Amino acid sequence: MEVKVKILRFNPETDKRPHYQTFRVEAEPTDRVLDLLEKIKGYQDGSLAFRRSCAHGICGSDAMRINGMNRLACKTLVKDLGKATITVEPLLGLPLIKDLIVDMEPFFEHYESVMPYLVNDEPPPLKERLQSPEERERFDDTTKCILCAACTTSCPSFWANGRYVGPAAIVNAHRFIFDSRDRAAAERLRILSDQFGVYRCHTIFNCTLACPRDIQITKAIGEVKKAIATGSLD
Amino acid sequence: MTAKLRTSWQGLRYRGGGTMIAWLLHRLGGLAMVVFVGMHVFASFLTQQFGSDVGTAMNIVYQSPYFQAPLYFLIIFHALNGLRIILLDTFPKLLEYQREVTWLQWIVFLPLYGLVVFFIIARIVSGE
Ligand code: SF4
Ligand code: FES
Repeated sequence: MEVKVKILRFNPETDKRPHYQTFRVEAEPTDRVLDLLEKIKGYQDGSLAFRRSCAHGICGSDAMRINGMNRLACKTLVKDLGKATITVEPLLGLPLIKDLIVDMEPFFEHYESVMPYLVNDEPPPLKERLQSPEERERFDDTTKCILCAACTTSCPSFWANGRYVGPAAIVNAHRFIFDSRDRAAAERLRILSDQFGVYRCHTIFNCTLACPRDIQITKAIGEVKKAIATGSLD
Repeated sequence: MTAKLRTSWQGLRYRGGGTMIAWLLHRLGGLAMVVFVGMHVFASFLTQQFGSDVGTAMNIVYQSPYFQAPLYFLIIFHALNGLRIILLDTFPKLLEYQREVTWLQWIVFLPLYGLVVFFIIARIVSGE
């Protein structure tokens, strides 16, 4: 079958503003949008710029807007889109560099700001810091994040103000806040109770719908909000 | 600035689903209330202080069914949506069922708003 791929393109050296360009590509229904982009880049226009690495939904580099919604190009099948024309646009809310590539730096700065690593200065036991299966289960969902930015760049609060830490940073803070081995929960909750922290979340749910790892993001944010409000992690 | 404008415009076209629409309506409802209360206070001020016709004209506008029907829509929606969010914020566990909770909100909303529309139409028909 032949599909039309309409791509929002931007070349910083020649273009004033982004514009659409449509390509016709021969595709199988089981092809992924990433395959179409590869075909276009390989056979029609080598100047098309996009990020990708693993091609298997684990590195998080190819999040983009596909038919108006953030998804990973490597996890989106042509047959699931059910449209003759597939529209591909870069993520919103981050500075556009070229075609489908946006500057991820502000995103990673927010990620770093929540201390996304285990903090525990107590001397380690002889073997390991033990944790029960129930304690591990508490933050299991938020360990699945691949930092693709699909959530943060789907959030109207983030579009409105890029200083909002965004759902991805909160997800990764949640992963350590509720880890029984970690000792810096209070510090992270303090960071997130800032005016650009969790309270910028207005429960719009775009993040939860966009997450390619099916993380219950709004729930994680809700749990952090509640921990801040009640001062308790239970 | 232009980048920001472009983001807002493209953001409106983002396919966020029912909960994004609920949030947009909630915001619109907030604005509608500011406009309505503002008009109300301003119109009363004008009529009482100066017996001005402008105030009376404003009263006629916001008492008209064309103004009231959308206003009631936004206000009732705003109130119910606020309750939904308070509920979800208090019990984060429920956030997993946000889709169902949003449907529930519409199920409560529609008959309530239907009743309001019924009264508005009844008033027009009875010629009051
Ligand atoms: S929470 Fe989901 S959408 Fe957000 S960065 Fe992680 S994997 Fe991507
Ligand atoms: S290319 Fe790695 S997640 Fe899609």
